[in-house]
Amino acid sequence: MKIKFTKLAVILTLILAIASCDSFVEIDPYYAQDADSYFNNSDDYSKALTGAYDLLQTSYLDLFIGEIASDNSIAGGESVTDSEGLHQIDAMTHGGVNVELRNLFRWMYTGITRVNYIYEFKDKVAFDGKNKILAEAAFLRAFYYFQLVKFFGDVPLVIDKRLGASAVPQQARTAAADVYAQIEKDLLFASSNLGWTALEKGRVTKGAALALLGKVYLYQNKFDQAASTLDQVINQGQYSLFAEYDKLFLVVNESSSETVFDVQYVGSEGGGFGCFVCLEGFLAPGFQGVRGYSGPIYAAGFSYNLPTKDLVDEFEANDVRKNASILDIEAFKKINPAVKYTVGAGGHTGFYNNKYIKRQDQLGLQDQNLTSPVNHKIIRYADVLLMAAEAHNRKANANNQLALQYVNQVRARAKLPAISKSGADLTTAIYRERRVEFAGEGLRFFDLVRTGQAASKIVGFQTGKNELFPIPQAEIDLANAGWIQNKGYN
Amino acid sequence: MKITLLLVAIMLSSFLGFGQISIKGRVLDKNDGQGLPGVNIVIKGTSQGTVSDIEGGYSLEAVAESAVLVISYVGYVTQEVTVSGKTNYSIELVSDVKSLEEVVVIGYGTSTVKELTGAISRVSGKDIEARNPVRLDQALQGQTAGVQISTASGSPGGSSNIRIRGLGSNGNNNPLILVDGIIYSVEGLNALNPSDIESVNVLKDASASIYGVLAGNGVIVVTTKQGKKGGKPSIEFSGYVGLQETTKKLDLLNARQYAVLKNEMFGSAGQVVPFLNPDLGNGTDWQDAVFQRAPMQNYNLNLTGGTDKSSYSIGGSYLSQKGIVGGDKASFERYNVRINFSTDLTSKIKLQSILLFTNEFRATLPEYRNVFSNDGQPGIGSVLYNTINASPAASIRQPDGSFTKLNEFLDVINPLAQIENTYNWSKANKFVGKEEVSYNINSNFDLTGRFGYDYSNFPSKTFSPIVDYGLNKPQNATFSSVQQTEQTSFSYNVDFYLNYNRTFNELHKVKGTAGFVRSQNYYKGLFTTGFDIPNNSWEFADISLANLTGLKNGGVGSGEVQSRLQSVFIRGEYAYKEKYLFSALARRDVSSKFGRDNISGYFPAVSAAWVASSESFFKIDFIQFMKVRASFGVAGSDRIGEFRYRAFLGGEGVYPFGDQLINGVAIGRAGNSSLRWEKNIQTNIGIDLTTLKGKLDVSIDYFTKKTSDLLFEPETSALLGTYGAGGAPPIINGGDVKNTGIELQLNYTNQVTSDFSYNVNFNATKIKNEVTQTPVGVDFISYGSFGIGGERATRFQRGLPIGAFYGFKTEGVYQTSQEVTERGVNQQNASRGDLRYVDQDGNKTINFGDNSDKVLLGSAIPDVILGLNTGAKYKGIDFSVSFYSSIGNSILRNFERQAPLANMLAYRIGRWTGEGSTNENPRLTNGESRNNVYSDYFVEDASYLRIRNIQLGYLLPASLINKIGAKKLRFYIAVNNLATFTKYRGFDPDFNSGDALLGGVDFGAYPQARTYMVGFNLNF
Repeated sequence: MKIKFTKLAVILTLILAIASCDSFVEIDPYYAQDADSYFNNSDDYSKALTGAYDLLQTSYLDLFIGEIASDNSIAGGESVTDSEGLHQIDAMTHGGVNVELRNLFRWMYTGITRVNYIYEFKDKVAFDGKNKILAEAAFLRAFYYFQLVKFFGDVPLVIDKRLGASAVPQQARTAAADVYAQIEKDLLFASSNLGWTALEKGRVTKGAALALLGKVYLYQNKFDQAASTLDQVINQGQYSLFAEYDKLFLVVNESSSETVFDVQYVGSEGGGFGCFVCLEGFLAPGFQGVRGYSGPIYAAGFSYNLPTKDLVDEFEANDVRKNASILDIEAFKKINPAVKYTVGAGGHTGFYNNKYIKRQDQLGLQDQNLTSPVNHKIIRYADVLLMAAEAHNRKANANNQLALQYVNQVRARAKLPAISKSGADLTTAIYRERRVEFAGEGLRFFDLVRTGQAASKIVGFQTGKNELFPIPQAEIDLANAGWIQNKGYN
Repeated sequence: MKITLLLVAIMLSSFLGFGQISIKGRVLDKNDGQGLPGVNIVIKGTSQGTVSDIEGGYSLEAVAESAVLVISYVGYVTQEVTVSGKTNYSIELVSDVKSLEEVVVIGYGTSTVKELTGAISRVSGKDIEARNPVRLDQALQGQTAGVQISTASGSPGGSSNIRIRGLGSNGNNNPLILVDGIIYSVEGLNALNPSDIESVNVLKDASASIYGVLAGNGVIVVTTKQGKKGGKPSIEFSGYVGLQETTKKLDLLNARQYAVLKNEMFGSAGQVVPFLNPDLGNGTDWQDAVFQRAPMQNYNLNLTGGTDKSSYSIGGSYLSQKGIVGGDKASFERYNVRINFSTDLTSKIKLQSILLFTNEFRATLPEYRNVFSNDGQPGIGSVLYNTINASPAASIRQPDGSFTKLNEFLDVINPLAQIENTYNWSKANKFVGKEEVSYNINSNFDLTGRFGYDYSNFPSKTFSPIVDYGLNKPQNATFSSVQQTEQTSFSYNVDFYLNYNRTFNELHKVKGTAGFVRSQNYYKGLFTTGFDIPNNSWEFADISLANLTGLKNGGVGSGEVQSRLQSVFIRGEYAYKEKYLFSALARRDVSSKFGRDNISGYFPAVSAAWVASSESFFKIDFIQFMKVRASFGVAGSDRIGEFRYRAFLGGEGVYPFGDQLINGVAIGRAGNSSLRWEKNIQTNIGIDLTTLKGKLDVSIDYFTKKTSDLLFEPETSALLGTYGAGGAPPIINGGDVKNTGIELQLNYTNQVTSDFSYNVNFNATKIKNEVTQTPVGVDFISYGSFGIGGERATRFQRGLPIGAFYGFKTEGVYQTSQEVTERGVNQQNASRGDLRYVDQDGNKTINFGDNSDKVLLGSAIPDVILGLNTGAKYKGIDFSVSFYSSIGNSILRNFERQAPLANMLAYRIGRWTGEGSTNENPRLTNGESRNNVYSDYFVEDASYLRIRNIQLGYLLPASLINKIGAKKLRFYIAVNNLATFTKYRGFDPDFNSGDALLGGVDFGAYPQARTYMVGFNLNF
């Protein structure tokens, strides 16, 4: 009996000894990279940079909203509740609850965070070529912040570090001017550390950084700086206008001499509706395609972002850009009687965006509506020229001669006669030229706002309110940092 | 030879009346001295016996000296009386309150109903088997108060949602399920043959705290059948065949109605009408084409018995079920073998060994396909969704025999083509078992050690052929692919516990339990996708023949994780004179799922009960038993993925350089080092009564269950930068939920005569669910989406139930243009015939762009659930019927495509057509209108009453079946889900997706089948 109890005691003691030891549960995961022990060689930096580029591929939102909010196009689609956020923007009734604006806000900050992650560890390892990586990263951060400041005005400026959840409530909205200052700083750093040519297609260049910097100056009405910066790009001679405007937006010409900065897309991965931010292809062409289409050249899409007659009428007679930019489906059907298409209840104008449209010979893998291989041109050389023209025309000490020369380069490519104007007339002419040159490219709304024309051109536009989009209400709540909603949206 | 002689001698002796006498007497109720009619009096070991008359009198002829009379009566303790000379035996039966002695499993020990201090329900295996369920959870519905079962998918092998005392969490609400001490997942219940179940015990209150961090959602303890020591081998063979059909077909438009209404929709928008001649007849009834009658069958063979030292129960079963949609393409098949063996190794040491092997096969159709959903939530695209929305004007097949392509829609595809092109199966091979050694140290101490294990292997294969469903369909495939996965999981637990049990001076009963548990879960999965399958054919669909190169969406993936849990616990129970009962327990858990600072959690609980009826002053004659119970305690939940407290580079950062996709690195899920368990505080007050001479048992419980520190993956601020591909917000602890409820359970059993008895079981549960706290800084979090890219459908908001529907409220239809303009409220796009939305904030505008006009529209959580189970027996005939009812639950009708050419439900015929036509349904138009904005127009009351099971059985007379050497043979016919009474327009009001936050959003889920069954039970 005694022996038994001794045995029992030993067993119990052993069990208790095991039980009191918590190290059993202190385990590490299999095959996982911790975020804080990364950045150990140049390859790590380069991979993190690729991750930062990834968010460029959400550019469809900028394109859609920049057009739909303006007088250039209507939302379209299946019904007014199909992508309702776009319809609200179309009608200028958008508020703090808007899926598209929220996505944009989130994705831009995701891109910024990925850049900040690199900058947080920028001094950890030294290696050749690091400045180039940092310069590309700086460009991306500037681009993402520019989108935010363009859409929302004052936004919290977070740089060079990741935020923990507990730090968010301390992030007040930073004045737009200060955000712009950071953007300029990043772009100046980028432009001075990047070359004019990219070693790989898709990487940003000195030209891209300077062109974007010029645009950023222009958005702040800093015309002198804009003019000199853009002149730098022009005088370098790196870029030129592509002769055939109607073929400019085809995949085969995406690396033409006119491309200053574009977002890269490929159709080789496929994708689904479950995750737009995961896509490697461009979804705008599919969404902008003709609904229920069968016939030659084009392929069926979702009839989003449909050009208005007002835009179509803006083109001068004989402007080659008209047919290159606008597909008039009934006119096309007359030539091709086999064409069939349907109309969505979200609106119909008879016109489609012919620059970014689903074409039979430019399909990605399934779902083909989402995976167009066409790159999205963000800054073309024509934009550099017209921005430079505007800057020279509007700067205190105007150089209308140079401005005219730039504008007429663009017009000549469109097979249009040169104009000869100056002062406010020239300014108006440049604005008009911008509208037709960049029709369907997402620039219009922001051009109207920054040049003070929005209220006179956009039905429902309220001055003092609609210049900015509302900060997504959910983001105001989640940040819990006392952000005041943009004026007029409460 | 000797035996034969003996038998002959026995037979002769009874024949000749050797030493026999006649006896008589009366059977009385000891309590009131009244005679008891219909009492069985049988001579032990023979079939000779009689039944007492109306006065309780009885008489028996030819009773052997020293024979033993067995006197039994429902509701009373069975008595044995030895015949010894006298001829008159007055027998007093003690009212049994028999159920009070039933053993209840309380976790690492047992108790009896009488001694119980917690709220624990018990369901017997018989009650489960009687319903012929495929899965245990299906049979639990309506059986016991406080347990709500709803169905996520009625497809074969589809799982139910088991909710004990409401939704305590916005995340995983599944209870802990233990089968013979081994943890089963809800999905894993597919492996368990319901016929193997001996009993199910549901630990609903703080008594579950003995399972600590695992117990927050309640605990279900299942024991499987065991043999009996010394029992003769007995074979039971049972089976049934059934035919299933859909419980409902929706009332859809036929082709003529469709054409008329569509013409109206196009015409009113100034568009060309699609049907010049709308007289298209009935057209295609897609539901008739998709739904089929499908067979099912089930057979069980079980051998039980024992020797003087061992007992065994060995069984096997086979089940096969085809789908009412899809047939073989949505089917389930299960082979199952079980060995349950116990033996006394020595007089003090007992070994119990259980091994269960299951092989499952399940084929599934798309039920939640993310066709158009970009928020990661279940989307539209199920076969039934396509069936509902397909045009009745389109034929199923074209003249050449191929499936018609429904080109008039973007995403609605021919559902029959969809079924034909779906190839999707998964298998499971599971070995589950335990080795348990218990050592009876002395009369007071028992030490138990056990090793439980679950080794499972889950292969699966999905083949997507090249398919063209029509113009520009997202479901089209321009290349074929096969996806194969191999997943293996292994989990084990090692438990040691010591039980102490001693009664001092026959007054003080003391029980104690102390134990230690270690458990580990390990998982590994390998996923491959290959492309370009030879011949585009299922026969060649295998990775071995597929093209594995290229960067098409897919490729190869793998995952390997483990989690660990270690626990110690102690429990003390004390009873004084079986009148005053106390119990206290505490458990400490350490879990690998939480940050290093928070790995441990402590879970205490106390409970007490008072058996009032045992007091000498308790003089209420009509109450035989009365007990008052109270309990309070803390449990927890760690139902999150592994290592969620850490931040990894799991994001996707891919970008094309030089037109080649380059893989980068990106931040994945954000970490949260202060992550800790979800905490449940439960209070329960209950009363148990037995009355009507033991015929009626009543239990009433009132409870509150407060869950705090909910494990959440809420949306987080964009500034954290986690919304890129592969990123996710951190899991945090935020938010509280409170469930308050009342449960009523009635069991009435009455043996009217020896031939006729009946029983009624009724239970009711009323639960109020309320979010009492949201994460810091957030007033609400919204989830899901209505229609396509539409409004968020549900909310997690303070003061509302979890997952409440929240949107615009309507107040009829604008009857005139004047009404639109003169209302004084600006409603965008409004014209006469449109839904009139309520201006909640009174700012004279319906604010479609923000939340100011949205209100609570309903909740998927029922207010009350009711179960009624009745049975009756007359001689060899038995009849039973079970009802289940859910009251106050809402479902969002989200299976209507709302596209210009999509088919519609027939209620749309009652659309607005002019002033005064209707104030309920809006006009139909393709023009700009806001009638399809998410509103109460789409949220329906889905209260229902369902006849769950009805069964009629016949037990063949013993005289007949003895001839074939059988002991018992019963045949029965049964129907499951015979009828459902509801106003809900969708298929199944019992639907719940299982996601606490999106439970009631119905995308056209697979309904449960109505099953007609014929079966038998045969015992040898």
